[in-house]
Amino acid sequence: MNDFVTVLWKEWKEIVLERSAGSAGSYRPLILIAVFGIFMPLRMGPERFFSTAGLLAPTFFSAVVITAVIADSFAGERERHTLETLLASRLSDHSILFGKIAACMAYGWLISISCILAGAITVNIANWHGQILMFHDAASWLLLLLGPPLLGGTIAAAGVLVSLHATTVRQAQQTLSVGFAVVLIGVIFGSSMLPADWKAWFGRILFTWSQADLVLAAAGVLLAIDLALLSAGMARFQRARLVLD
Amino acid sequence: MAEPAIRALGLTRTFATVRALDDLNIEVPAGSVFGFLGPNGAGKTTTIRLLLGLIEPTSGSAQVLGFDTRTQGAEIRARTGALLEHSGLYERLSAEDNLRFYGRVAHMPKAQLDQRIQELLTHLGLWDRRQEAVVKWSRGMKQKLAIARPLLHRPGLVFLDEPTAGLDPVAAASLRDDLAALAARQGATIFLTTHNMAEAEKLCSLVAVIRQGKLLAVGSPADLRSRGGGQRTEIAGRGFSDAMLAMLRQQADVSQALVENGRLVLLLKDGASVAPLISMIVRDGGEVQEVRSGQGSLEDVFLTLMEEEK
Repeated sequence: MNDFVTVLWKEWKEIVLERSAGSAGSYRPLILIAVFGIFMPLRMGPERFFSTAGLLAPTFFSAVVITAVIADSFAGERERHTLETLLASRLSDHSILFGKIAACMAYGWLISISCILAGAITVNIANWHGQILMFHDAASWLLLLLGPPLLGGTIAAAGVLVSLHATTVRQAQQTLSVGFAVVLIGVIFGSSMLPADWKAWFGRILFTWSQADLVLAAAGVLLAIDLALLSAGMARFQRARLVLD
Repeated sequence: MAEPAIRALGLTRTFATVRALDDLNIEVPAGSVFGFLGPNGAGKTTTIRLLLGLIEPTSGSAQVLGFDTRTQGAEIRARTGALLEHSGLYERLSAEDNLRFYGRVAHMPKAQLDQRIQELLTHLGLWDRRQEAVVKWSRGMKQKLAIARPLLHRPGLVFLDEPTAGLDPVAAASLRDDLAALAARQGATIFLTTHNMAEAEKLCSLVAVIRQGKLLAVGSPADLRSRGGGQRTEIAGRGFSDAMLAMLRQQADVSQALVENGRLVLLLKDGASVAPLISMIVRDGGEVQEVRSGQGSLEDVFLTLMEEEK
């Protein structure tokens, strides 16, 4: 646990320092918070913003942020020639792998929560009637709590798999972008090509289950994917191969 | 007799068809500064990777601080420090954070880590700039910090892979002084790879020479000097042809003959006389203007070994 926290500390410092004031990437989080935390909530209004559907944008958006950061996890260390020294230390495979994933997830979660908080403040100020407006249903709270970490976990675990054997950060980012585009297109086209009885079954679920149940079911599926990807990451983390790559 | 810090028995590593390390047998005494000399691609980095348990040998075995490199890599890495081919510094982080990270990795208590960081950075003249991002530093400063990193937790064994490579002569000399002082104060075993013979001569109590994965010689620098190149004779003049060099190399007393900066350099075996050779050179059409003789250096021995193995 101690080693995991040490890697998390180092990764967090690197992520934050790369995006701190004065650095090239310092404007990116601010732009994202301005768009998803001020502009979009203003356009959406209180009813749409404080709903389950309104939370989908910042949840997906945290995943996009993680994509940018996770590509650097191993490919960046390889590119900057720090990976072998890290591997030559006493750190265990698990602490290196999970420390890196956790730091990226924490960064994505922080940006996502910042956007939601900024959005809540913006919507309240713009629509102030003497009463604080807030999320009011169980599904929204469940999505708020489970969405960013579980979807972030999926992206981070998939990203680390790519980054483990990518030669450069750019290569890892390109592979991840193409991979996610393929998955997205596959879901869109795949769902339209499903057999009619499958479509009817999904339709029944969507109309008969409560929103909270749907969020919990999606969370369960994401959790299973996260665990599978993490297992694959652990299997592919081989010091000898990483040193010689 | 104390257990050696490193013992390799028939250590061999093959990559596809290339034998990077071929039947290496060495013992590194505890507390010594051991120089592992060889040209680029000789197998020095592969040896360090094998000894740290980062890669597995194709055959043979090695023990480091009593631990088997095949099965106890984690124990070895916990008890050693390593400066590998690259400095391994996180350039976005400050010098202090770089050391703090590796100190935490080594499970050093905070108070002890704070004290050690101050001690090392002060000794290396870097304390005042400890909070600057390393990316802003000169190469020499970065390399000093890179050397401080593996020494931080006072390991029993430190691997240093070409620590002065790429530095200008002044920075390299300064770094060598720092390294010698740190090694003496710490009393650790140091396994140093280099192709800088002056560095090896200054720092090492024992050296091994490796080429194309094969161990060519092991001994103290003085031993190797007396074994390989007892005497070095430099002859200034003209007409030193390839045919003359070939003829000189065939003489029993000559270990090596080559032309360096227009001068004919002869490495002679101990007790050999240069006079008959001068006569031979003159008879062969060479013009001799000046002859200087002295003790051969480790570099001469190294060059001789490299030539012999070609």
